[in-house]
Amino acid sequence: MSATTHETHDTAHGPALPDPLPRIPLVWGPADFDSVSQQVSEITEQPQPGWWWPAFLISAALLCGGGIAATYLISTGVGVWGSNNPVNWAFDITNFVFWIGIGHAGTLISAILFLFRQKWRTSINRFAEAMTIFAVICAGIYPGIHVGRFWYAWFMFPLPNANHIFPNFRSALLWDLFAVSTYFTISLIFWYVGLIPDLATLRDRAKSRLRQVIFGFLSLGWRGSTRHWRHYEVAYLMFAGLSTPLVLSVHSVVSFDFATSLIPGWHTTIFPPYFVAGAIFGGFAMVLQCMIPARAVFKLDNVVTIKHIDVMCKFILATGTIVGYAYIMELFVAWFSGNPYEWQTFKNRAFDGDYTWAYWVMMTCNLIIPQVFWFKWCRQTPWFVLIVVTFVNVGMWYERFVIIVQSLHHDFLPGSWGQFHPTWVDWLQMIGDFGLFFTLTLLFIRFLPMVAMAEVKGVLPMANPHYNFKPDAEYLKGENGEYPTADHALAASYGPPTRPRTHVEAPPEPVPPFVPNASGTGAPWGAVAEFANGAELLEAAKKTVAAGYVHVDAWTPYYVHGMKEAIGRTRSRLPLFTLAGGLTGLTLAVLMQFYFSAYYYPIIVGGKEYRSWEAFIPIFFEMTVLFAGIFTLVALVGLCGLPKLFHPIDAHPTFARGTQGGFFLSVEAKDAKFNPDATRAFLEGLGGKNVAVVEA
Amino acid sequence: MPAIFSRSLDGHLRRAAVGLGVAVTLFVIGWYYYALPSYTRVGYQPDQPVPFSHELHAGKLGMDCAYCHQSVFESPHASVPAAQTCMNCHNPKMANVKGNSPLLAPVRASYDTGKPVEWKRIHKLPEYAYFNHAVHTNKGVSCVSCHGQINEMKVVWHDQPLSMGWCLKCHNDPHEHLRPFDKVTDLTWKPKPGTGAEIAQQLAVKAPMSCQSCHR
Repeated sequence: MSATTHETHDTAHGPALPDPLPRIPLVWGPADFDSVSQQVSEITEQPQPGWWWPAFLISAALLCGGGIAATYLISTGVGVWGSNNPVNWAFDITNFVFWIGIGHAGTLISAILFLFRQKWRTSINRFAEAMTIFAVICAGIYPGIHVGRFWYAWFMFPLPNANHIFPNFRSALLWDLFAVSTYFTISLIFWYVGLIPDLATLRDRAKSRLRQVIFGFLSLGWRGSTRHWRHYEVAYLMFAGLSTPLVLSVHSVVSFDFATSLIPGWHTTIFPPYFVAGAIFGGFAMVLQCMIPARAVFKLDNVVTIKHIDVMCKFILATGTIVGYAYIMELFVAWFSGNPYEWQTFKNRAFDGDYTWAYWVMMTCNLIIPQVFWFKWCRQTPWFVLIVVTFVNVGMWYERFVIIVQSLHHDFLPGSWGQFHPTWVDWLQMIGDFGLFFTLTLLFIRFLPMVAMAEVKGVLPMANPHYNFKPDAEYLKGENGEYPTADHALAASYGPPTRPRTHVEAPPEPVPPFVPNASGTGAPWGAVAEFANGAELLEAAKKTVAAGYVHVDAWTPYYVHGMKEAIGRTRSRLPLFTLAGGLTGLTLAVLMQFYFSAYYYPIIVGGKEYRSWEAFIPIFFEMTVLFAGIFTLVALVGLCGLPKLFHPIDAHPTFARGTQGGFFLSVEAKDAKFNPDATRAFLEGLGGKNVAVVEA
Repeated sequence: MPAIFSRSLDGHLRRAAVGLGVAVTLFVIGWYYYALPSYTRVGYQPDQPVPFSHELHAGKLGMDCAYCHQSVFESPHASVPAAQTCMNCHNPKMANVKGNSPLLAPVRASYDTGKPVEWKRIHKLPEYAYFNHAVHTNKGVSCVSCHGQINEMKVVWHDQPLSMGWCLKCHNDPHEHLRPFDKVTDLTWKPKPGTGAEIAQQLAVKAPMSCQSCHR
């Protein structure tokens, strides 16, 4: 998805410098647009593999256990958990923070790596984004049920009510609510928007009426029109821009839940960066934990290559080391600060306390074990990576356990020291949350494309008009005829990449010059022509516009770079809607917080003035992002005129290829220059195949 | 490929979306109107075992509220009068005002047996909310502020929502609801605008705003 800049995957734009290290493609082996569609879509189209049902039933059984635990808790009260004085937060908040953290890898991959043009993200972003959403659902359960009177959970939201009570906008817990709900909403929108072109592919491949209808509705009538792509690409960029600060803010805000309190071990300024690094660390571990088996059983190793795993392991190494640094720095500062309470907490944590074992589990799993990723063999051996990331996941759970339970059990007063003993309900709830996560993940890989097909198509060598195809024998070899690195040899062993198609596959029956439409009006809608590849379509579109046609559109399986200019369009105005949304959200946040906190129900919190605004900043930010995201979605749907479930162009016999591997050009009949015969002849003259006039 | 959906579906979808939007808006508005105490409580007017008319007693006859609700200035509870209070006038053997009216039979029975008349309670606060009549009446809050124009009610109804938000509205800014102490039970007296601050100072009114004032 590279709508907005003019970069390509190689250095073809610059002077032709010798390239001693040929760039390894992101997808290995022969792959064209149709084969990518086929490889990813067929996972959802064929009957589920034999292991799927047992795995699903086990997950669903665990989920039911969680449901029973939650029901027991709600009907009886939070006393059924082991949380009690002094450890009032234990498994609930541990699991909440654990799952929120898991989600961060998805947003990092989909947003931050997008802004940094890390195109390898396209193979894994869909999967990671889905995991984000499922993890946030798992996390969101705990704040919902740990409030005790579950049916009053809506009190957390600033809704007008007969009691005229409103939440305290200066509380970190309320910031957390806004942060997590914004995070969930934006992640869901981002994920869904990314899915739309792929859902259209599934619709066009569908054989059964049921799949056609379901994916027809879900894809909102997406057909790969360039008029839509030009909004879509910009919307995607906007979402990436909105999500980037969001992903950094969410775990910062979660860390404020602790850092703004006075408990020794919590009250520290290192928390936000330390939590964010830990979240990305744990998130990548969970992505690998799920991705490695899925990649193996669905034979996706040419799309999610060993290099992807390698790069993710490097992320784990980097963030794990940051987290380890934070652990050591915390310990050092506790000693160096001379604060006796802080030091006794950390001494108790690391050396002589009841939970020292948990601290060292955390240290071993998070700091020491990931250091094996300095070695390439360890990064590139999937089964070994799987073992390491399991330790990381365990370690990250223990990190939260140590921070929460250990800090609470030993606070200022020796008289209030105590221990935490989880009950069976705690355990069942926690295991049930894993059941929920894996149930959702299994349903996802069964029913939705787990690789972003449209994005992967855009990074194939054949999609790059500047790609320098060498003879197959020289593929990925250096000037001396040798593979420069072992990675090159490995990538080359999958075979050379497919070259762009040069001819249009003939349909089973020749396309008639006039295609009637069921319940048509008799008048033509326009002329449609198919082209062999994106570069040819781009040329044809430019020539069509140069010939004086105005109502021109190109229909492509991925956004072909430069196509919007070729059909005579400019950059989308969609960012104005994003801006309007952001300003609306910010204004509402300002009015809401000042009205409630300074005027309507003024409360003194922390000795601040009523109008003191600094503590309002987190909610300013969250509401800005939330409204900007919702406005962007509405603008995308509105500017594209979606949903458009019916379109006359669907009648064209080969048009369903358009969302898989076909490239189409259309000229509408409302164009002043349109003439059924002349326009059709013109498109044929440009090299168009299967040219037909479609009835409106 | 033949079309999956019919030509008219997109129009239907848009109309359905508009309809859904309108329906949700109406539901939310309806919820806020019908689910709040301003609707669920206000207007509750049960038939009482004795058709006692406040309009007659407190209105036309001009009896003071505290004649029957004796402890309203001294106690958290205003108190519902015992049959003895009624019998001061309605006792057939003494003053004999309508002493033999069949409508008063339950009162006479109560007086004879000592079992109270089973009045239906109209104004009821939740157990977790502590309300003190005496402190309100002594600080210049009239009966009419919470109970409405009782002196005009033949059958008493629930006049105000008595929700927490409703309480807080006055606690936030009590001045316009205050009156001189001797006018507290004068239900026809209307406070003069602008006098509230002075009365508040005289009666040392400090309407508390902390949670613990009512949720003890």
